[in-house]
Amino acid sequence: MNAATTPVAEVGMSISERGPSPRTVIVGYGFWLFLLSDIILFSALFAAYAVLSGRTADGPSGALLFHRDSVLIETGCLLLSSFTCAMMSLAIEFRRKDWMLLGAGLTLALGAAFLWLELTEFGAMLAHGAGPDRSAFLSAFFALVGMHGLHVSLGLGWLVVMMAQVFTLGWRAMVRDRLACFALFWHALDIVWIGVFTIVYLGAR
Amino acid sequence: MFGRLTWDAFPVHDPIPLFAAGFVLLVLAGVLLLVTVKGWWPTLWRDWITSVDHKRVGVMYVLLALVMLVRGFIDALMMRSQLALAAGHAPGYLPPAHYDQIFSAHGTIMIFFVGMTFMVGLMNFAVPLQIGARDVAFPVLNSVSFWLTAAGVLLVNVSLVVGEFARTGWLAYPPLSELAFSPGVGVDYYLWALQISGVGTLLSGINLTTTILKMRTPGMGYSRMPIFTWTALASNLLIIAAFPILTATLGMLLLDRYLGFHFFTNEAGGNAMMYVNLIWAWGHPEVYILILPAFGIFSEVIATFSGKPLFGYRSMAIATMAICMLSFMVWLHHFFTMGAGADVNGFFGIATTIIAVPTGVKIFNWLFTLYGGTLRFETPLLWAIGFIVTFVVGGASGVLLAIPPADFQLHNSLFLVAHFHNVIIGGVVFGAFAGYTYWFPKAFGFRLHDGLGKAVFWCWFIGFWLAFLPLYALGLMGATRRMQHYPETGWQPFMVVALVGALVILAGIVLTGVQLVVSVRARERLRDANGDPWDGRTLEWATRSPPPAWNFGVLPQVSGLDEFWEAKRCNGGALVAARGEGARPLQVPRPSALGVVLAFFAFVAGFALVWHILWLAGLALSCIVVACLLRAWQTEHEVELNAADIAGRDGARP
Amino acid sequence: MDERDQRHAPSDDQERPGDAADWKSRLVKSLLGLAASIVLTLASFWAAGTHLVWGPGVPVLLAALAIGQMGVHLVFFLHVSSGPEGTNTILALAFGVFVVALVVFGSLVIMANLDAGMAGMDGLTRMQR
Repeated sequence: MNAATTPVAEVGMSISERGPSPRTVIVGYGFWLFLLSDIILFSALFAAYAVLSGRTADGPSGALLFHRDSVLIETGCLLLSSFTCAMMSLAIEFRRKDWMLLGAGLTLALGAAFLWLELTEFGAMLAHGAGPDRSAFLSAFFALVGMHGLHVSLGLGWLVVMMAQVFTLGWRAMVRDRLACFALFWHALDIVWIGVFTIVYLGAR
Repeated sequence: MFGRLTWDAFPVHDPIPLFAAGFVLLVLAGVLLLVTVKGWWPTLWRDWITSVDHKRVGVMYVLLALVMLVRGFIDALMMRSQLALAAGHAPGYLPPAHYDQIFSAHGTIMIFFVGMTFMVGLMNFAVPLQIGARDVAFPVLNSVSFWLTAAGVLLVNVSLVVGEFARTGWLAYPPLSELAFSPGVGVDYYLWALQISGVGTLLSGINLTTTILKMRTPGMGYSRMPIFTWTALASNLLIIAAFPILTATLGMLLLDRYLGFHFFTNEAGGNAMMYVNLIWAWGHPEVYILILPAFGIFSEVIATFSGKPLFGYRSMAIATMAICMLSFMVWLHHFFTMGAGADVNGFFGIATTIIAVPTGVKIFNWLFTLYGGTLRFETPLLWAIGFIVTFVVGGASGVLLAIPPADFQLHNSLFLVAHFHNVIIGGVVFGAFAGYTYWFPKAFGFRLHDGLGKAVFWCWFIGFWLAFLPLYALGLMGATRRMQHYPETGWQPFMVVALVGALVILAGIVLTGVQLVVSVRARERLRDANGDPWDGRTLEWATRSPPPAWNFGVLPQVSGLDEFWEAKRCNGGALVAARGEGARPLQVPRPSALGVVLAFFAFVAGFALVWHILWLAGLALSCIVVACLLRAWQTEHEVELNAADIAGRDGARP
Repeated sequence: MDERDQRHAPSDDQERPGDAADWKSRLVKSLLGLAASIVLTLASFWAAGTHLVWGPGVPVLLAALAIGQMGVHLVFFLHVSSGPEGTNTILALAFGVFVVALVVFGSLVIMANLDAGMAGMDGLTRMQR
């Protein structure tokens, strides 16, 4: 049955038998699961949008309200910010505070630009009476796109905190794990945005 | 200053809520006084409230579940007694508006704060021990999860004293739950309580899934995991996948109510059916989240008390994962009558009957495990056998309801009520009590009094059938659910029998309390001396009772299923140490107040939002942010124990 | 700093700072991801406005481009791969995609069928007058 005291050899052992994973892997996987749950939350909002997108209650529709040019610029900002975030991750791996700061700062700026454009879009819609209380379609639009914008805002806040943590706490494992989680979060937000601009903005014809 | 909160919110004019509120406050004050007088606060704070030990967190979950069982059951007694009285022209004693709150609170509390809480508590306690881990993946997050659940509980219970609860059933369908038809605070209490505790549950799902997938002891591949761990994995995967849908849907209703959105309103293009669709896309996986851990408990109990390995381990694991996937493909059976048409109804009806198959596989495996075994009729085994008998009937009534034409007759009748109580009580509650009895000695170092345990079982078993068989009959006779009175005097005898059944269950609940007191008093006689009171098979029984904070001094090397059972046969019960494990310093997580602090501010924020006290909500949310930032800068997360500390108090069996 | 890792089995991808040789390949990978994403994004915006693609085919093309770009992000930025620890990641992702598909498409099918059975909101309000 069991050998008396000799532990089992590592050669040929399947990964599932190797025992507990390192802390970084555990943290990363837990955050990955959180991201998946977040994406499912978005999918419920997407489903509501898809179902309600035609119900404009004789009010303005997407084709009327959306400006594709600014959406293209927003998309560009977010996409570039994913790249600068990847550069930041690279800098972290090489423990270069200066490059990390540059990457983080650019990500922050691009994310803020995205938010600014989105907020002006919302403001313009509200000013024209096309707010979320106008129709089910607009409710679904503001909830879906607004939820994404809220995630971006929280992400930017998180990034500022992480920059402060690098400066005050240095490169300890705890800080690097959190930065890795931030990077996953930021890239996942871009993935959600792909869904948003395709289904909401390009889908409104 | 206080938003919409005025003195009218207090139940000064309603005798029943006034009495209930007064009673609860008295009990609460009594408990707080007792703790203060006895000087227990420092210990309570250090060892329980701020504990991040999965065993302590698990115990607190179970305690919360038991307390809420009492609250939810009082609601049940009120409903049963009202219905036993209100036949023909008799009005009963509960006004309709009040009755509506009672059945809404009953369902909400029983599902979210008894069922979920009990199962999460048992999974929290047992899973890390079963997989040879020292704690869950994220211990502080675990504490946060528990306390957020407690905050949700508090919010629901505060609605008894300040304001009112929802009158919209446990799922709060719009348009009734929209502002136009429910302008009061009841629905808001419901929504915020569930959003807050929902965050806790989701985090718990992430925590346990990560623990099971990434922290098993060396040698424990997937095919060597205990079956309870498999069902815990499936259940927590479902939590991660399903709870976001609940959060999103309740969030949409909140947007409708607070910011004038039109997701589910009657005007401006809203679609109330969308709510029903989305909420059940969560709701069906939810019932599997509840039942899968119970299935796992029964697997462990049946194998242990038959003295045989579980029959068909592999098919059990496969059936569990099949149920996990299939549970996402049947949700429309909750609204066959909403009008999706025969094709769609047919697809989901067939899918629902298919999902009964893996459950049937499990039943046969349990029966084959029992067959030929040396049965020891301890209390947990009684619960398991009672479960098999009861749950099969409930499952059969479910398959009947799965046929759309039949469901058109039976939807929202008492037949439906009988069906889901049949499977939830027969499955989840029986499983909870089996697990409670089974793991109690591991948690506290002494067994529960056995005679009283058996009495509790018989009260529940007999009481359940007395309470719900009449409801099956009534449903077939046309009785609707959620009715406060009924014109058919011929139904009254059935209602009276149902009330008697509820009283028998009440006896069982009271005896549970008595059992606890008696067991604590007799704990020396009931002492679990060697950590293995049941001659168990899995790793948790290899530790002493209760285990030390770090569970295992050295991580065990696993080379097969039921490692501890094999060790008892070959090695005198001593486990093999994993390679590289020696008496080296151990890191043990420090206690953390983050959980209770976050939950406190979450409760304040929830309460403030219910009453539209916006400045208070903003303040509470800011405090949450500050608490998280303070936590972020904490660098001393662990205490190091050296070899001497561990060796003297090691968790290995003597 | 890395004391916590002593509790767990040591592994190869530890907290050592990266080697100088690695950074170029990492940079190239990120640039490739960026380039591919830009191309796919521009293609999507073009496809939505062009008359060159047969009308009913446009949603399918947009969906394909979107899924493609999501894949690019997953591989080039999120580093989802089939490494030893990656199997759990991919299985979780698969489960997530399964649920998303069910929620979105299931809801669409169900709601469409429900609406087909309805008199329609306008019909109802007319009846109420």
